[in-house]
Amino acid sequence: MIKKAIANSMQKSPWLYHVNTGSCNGCDIELVACLTPRYDVERFGFKLAGSPRHADIVVVSGPITSQSKERLLRTLEQVPEPYCIVTLGSCPQSGNVFKGSYSVEAPIDKFCHVDVAIAGCTVKPEAVIAGLYKATEILKKKREAMNK
Amino acid sequence: MEYLKILFNILVFPGCLFVGAMGLLLSGIDRKVLARMQKRVGPPIIQPLYDFLKLLGKETIVPKAANRKVFLGAPVVGFAALVVTAALIPVLGYRAFEGSADLIVLLYLLTIPAVALIIGGSSSGNPYAGIGISREMVTMMSYELPLICIFLAVAKKVGGSTLCFSLSQIAAYQQANGSLIGCVSLIPAAAAMLLVIPAEVGTQPFDVAEAETEILEGPLIEYSGAPLAVFKLNTSMKMYIMTALFSALFLGGLATGVTALDVLIQVLLCIALTLICMTTIHAVTARLKIEHLFKFYWTVVAGLAALSLVLVWLGF
Amino acid sequence: MSYIHFPVIAVMTLFMGAFLTVVFGRKSKAVRNILALAASCTAFVLICCLIKPVLIDGEIISYWMGNWSPVEGYAIGIGYEIDQLSMFFALITVFTVLMSCIYSIRYMERDSALDFYNVLFLMLSGSVLGLVLTGDVFNMFIMIEIMTFTSVGLAAFRNNKAGSVEAGFKYLVIGSIGSSMTLFGVAILYGNCHTLNMAQLSSILAGRLTPSTLMAFALMFTGLAVKSYIVPFHTPAADAYTTAPASISMVFSGMVNKAGVYGMIRLVYIIFRAMDKSSVQLLMVIFGVVTMFVGVTMALAQHDFKRLLAFHSISQIGYVITAAGLGSALGLTAGLFHAMNHTLFKGLLFLCAGAVYYAAGTTNLDKLGGLSKKMPKTCICFLIGAFSISGLPPFNGFASKWLVYQAVYEKAVTSGNIFYAFATVAAVVVSVMTLASFIKVTQAVFFGQLPASLENVQEVPALMRLPMWIMSALCVLTGVFYDQVNKWLLAPAAGAALNVSGYIDRMMGEGYAAEAGVVNIPVFAARFSFWNPVVWLLLFIIVLAAFCLAIIGSSGDRASISSAPADAEDGKYATFFSGEKSMPSHVSGSDLFWGFKKNWKGYFKVMDGIHSGRVNDYALYVVCAAALITVFVFGFVR
Repeated sequence: MIKKAIANSMQKSPWLYHVNTGSCNGCDIELVACLTPRYDVERFGFKLAGSPRHADIVVVSGPITSQSKERLLRTLEQVPEPYCIVTLGSCPQSGNVFKGSYSVEAPIDKFCHVDVAIAGCTVKPEAVIAGLYKATEILKKKREAMNK
Repeated sequence: MEYLKILFNILVFPGCLFVGAMGLLLSGIDRKVLARMQKRVGPPIIQPLYDFLKLLGKETIVPKAANRKVFLGAPVVGFAALVVTAALIPVLGYRAFEGSADLIVLLYLLTIPAVALIIGGSSSGNPYAGIGISREMVTMMSYELPLICIFLAVAKKVGGSTLCFSLSQIAAYQQANGSLIGCVSLIPAAAAMLLVIPAEVGTQPFDVAEAETEILEGPLIEYSGAPLAVFKLNTSMKMYIMTALFSALFLGGLATGVTALDVLIQVLLCIALTLICMTTIHAVTARLKIEHLFKFYWTVVAGLAALSLVLVWLGF
Repeated sequence: MSYIHFPVIAVMTLFMGAFLTVVFGRKSKAVRNILALAASCTAFVLICCLIKPVLIDGEIISYWMGNWSPVEGYAIGIGYEIDQLSMFFALITVFTVLMSCIYSIRYMERDSALDFYNVLFLMLSGSVLGLVLTGDVFNMFIMIEIMTFTSVGLAAFRNNKAGSVEAGFKYLVIGSIGSSMTLFGVAILYGNCHTLNMAQLSSILAGRLTPSTLMAFALMFTGLAVKSYIVPFHTPAADAYTTAPASISMVFSGMVNKAGVYGMIRLVYIIFRAMDKSSVQLLMVIFGVVTMFVGVTMALAQHDFKRLLAFHSISQIGYVITAAGLGSALGLTAGLFHAMNHTLFKGLLFLCAGAVYYAAGTTNLDKLGGLSKKMPKTCICFLIGAFSISGLPPFNGFASKWLVYQAVYEKAVTSGNIFYAFATVAAVVVSVMTLASFIKVTQAVFFGQLPASLENVQEVPALMRLPMWIMSALCVLTGVFYDQVNKWLLAPAAGAALNVSGYIDRMMGEGYAAEAGVVNIPVFAARFSFWNPVVWLLLFIIVLAAFCLAIIGSSGDRASISSAPADAEDGKYATFFSGEKSMPSHVSGSDLFWGFKKNWKGYFKVMDGIHSGRVNDYALYVVCAAALITVFVFGFVR
């Protein structure tokens, strides 16, 4: 029963850690917009956490510049299991308009596993909410898989 | 039977379970009402329970720089100290462990959880935690001055020309003469106490120690999983303990003598106090800087408390 | 052999030990250590043998040197008189000596000229023991002199280190001023009363406060205050405690300044029996509060482990003086208890500082860090000491501070003087600041990041840890069972100070006190309600056990606790520096408490100016304070 309660809670209380890897800040403010009274993701239990040690969902925005790549990987290493990685906007997916630049390492799936990718340039808050909600379901599944 | 009663008192009511449940309830209500004040829907009231359970299900990472025993032991010590402290505070008329602690002891018992947080954070070896513990400690220095003035004022009012630090005596006095908040001389003290509560609990605008946007939750930065859950629970439990202490000191006259009714009144009082001194202040203010916090407490709040102390001595 | 010879033998053993070390201990290390250990053990055992007759049976031992007993009611010989108060301080002394002796065997092994060290150490121990056991004011003065000069030698012992000779010199100057004041006071008393025996002085001086005896009181008060290093006489202590070897710093704060405190208690409670005067109470409480406050704020500003501890020693003596200065049974009990606890926890902390110095080679708070993984046992001892001194329940510092608050506030409500209420507030605030500065040490020395230069640090040897463990255990035990401590140690000692007639009669003959009109102050049992550490500890353990059961029970449901393998380079266990690989930014001691320091900038500036480091200034403070005390005494003590 406790196991089930924990798995359920995993879906109800996801804490976000936001990593900006050279984003133009467009997606970042859309993520913050989700916390405002208009969208209010806190009703799903979302909360911005200060440290990757507290995170359940790591939100990555930006085209992964060469400088930020190792920092991103180092941060991802420090997140406790189970966790999800959500990419915000088109940049981490493809590099978007920065594609082909010598200093851009996108796409992100070359070096880490992505659970949910939210597309758009910039992303719409509605899409962010839908994507994050999807991630919470994955989180729950990951937790249930840990029980077995 | 006697032992069973002690076990019941410490583990169920007014100890462990009751305090834990109350803490989670209060912080849930706090979050919900705060959201409503900001015209948001807000999380469900049992959200803190979800958070707690979720953190239990997460992996606990002990960083390499940390001292494992201290790192894992600190939250537990803080938790146990809080539970025992809570059990020593009377629930209006209901006093479980009479005569084992007085006001000064409570003042010191309340520092143990803060010290546990500081030692735990310090042992994690993170520089952000270093800054966090420094701020936590300064916060503690800030509110301790008004707090002792408040306690002394209450003790003088109740005791007259005899020494009285006893919680039961304070409760008995209030049952005989009405709540202490009705005394003119103690109104500033009550106001000061209302301002001490948010700093003791660490809610905005006095959450400088755990400022997640600037120092990444300070002492808690390296904590994950179950120890983090316990620390979060400790913070919630402090909400209950501080509001319960307020009602024991200033609103003791509301006791009815019927335990069930007393508990109900106490719960309602705690909720009301949480809304007054934590949620409202949180909703209308932004985080202070640490030096401003210190100044605020040593001038305004301590001034209120000292005024009360002087008024009591003058016989008002 | 009857036990009445034990006190004098104990003192003689220590002095003989010093003498024999000079003769035989120059070459051989083993002989030196054995001599020192044997002398301190003998003194310890002899004093412990007196516990039963003095503390339990309540007997007062008097011993006339060379059997020069009083003739026609006048004491002409030197007498030792051991009442419960002397016994209490004698126990503190011999315990400290023994602990320091054991510790120094390994701690001092890297120093040279150890025969001098042992000689000075044993003479210091003998003089302090003699001071607390003697019943003769001039003998007390001589012991103070020996104590001062051996202390000077020991403070300057590591004269290859910067500042130690300077510290010795400061100690010499300030100490000499204090001693000469004491001597002058003693001379005036002798001229007035034609006796030097404390018991006889006490009976003669009762109600006879003429200008000349008042002068003697002011001078002796100042002289003994200098020896207990209360503000503004604290300046040499800060330097001496810092530069002396840790085993000696421990002795300084554990018994040398306790000797001063003992002298003050003996002076005001017994020789002059002035504690029922509210002016004397006020004098002592003002000094106490100023001392505790200045001491702790100065400690917050320090960058050196031992210097910080030195200022805390000063601050804690403030508590003792405040409580003892209340003149009530509760206050004296609290003061004595705090004096004893201070010996335990401050000694422990100095030993920890010594251990850090031994292992890491420095006590600079800005250069240390992260030692808890290298020296886990020292770290635990330090934490116990730190929690004790900051007054966290259930350690002993809490029990005694709690009694101090009670005593001060009781004085406030019974006398109706609001000054005492603010003294209580000050005491509590000082206690929080104490906690703050120990958090600073904890963070700067034992936690935080380990500097690369300290990678090879090792735990100190077991022989050094032994005294640390003993003192840690005592810190916990005296805190939890403080009722027992009160019953067997404190109540008799406080009673002895408040009931003088027994002391006088034992020395001068039955009925002498009654003839001189000495009245006993009734000692009521000190109130010990509302703090029951045993219950608290029991509840705490129940909750802990329940918690552990819950953890074990849910082990299947929880996720695992993973900690780093010893030599893993796994990034998962690395410290989080916002994604950077490393950030050489250990938050050291001087970075902490910024919000506090900023608000107190003006105060710290003034304090900086006052602690100028010039002996001339310091001597001036002593003289000015002596003048102020004299004016106060002449103006207000009736």
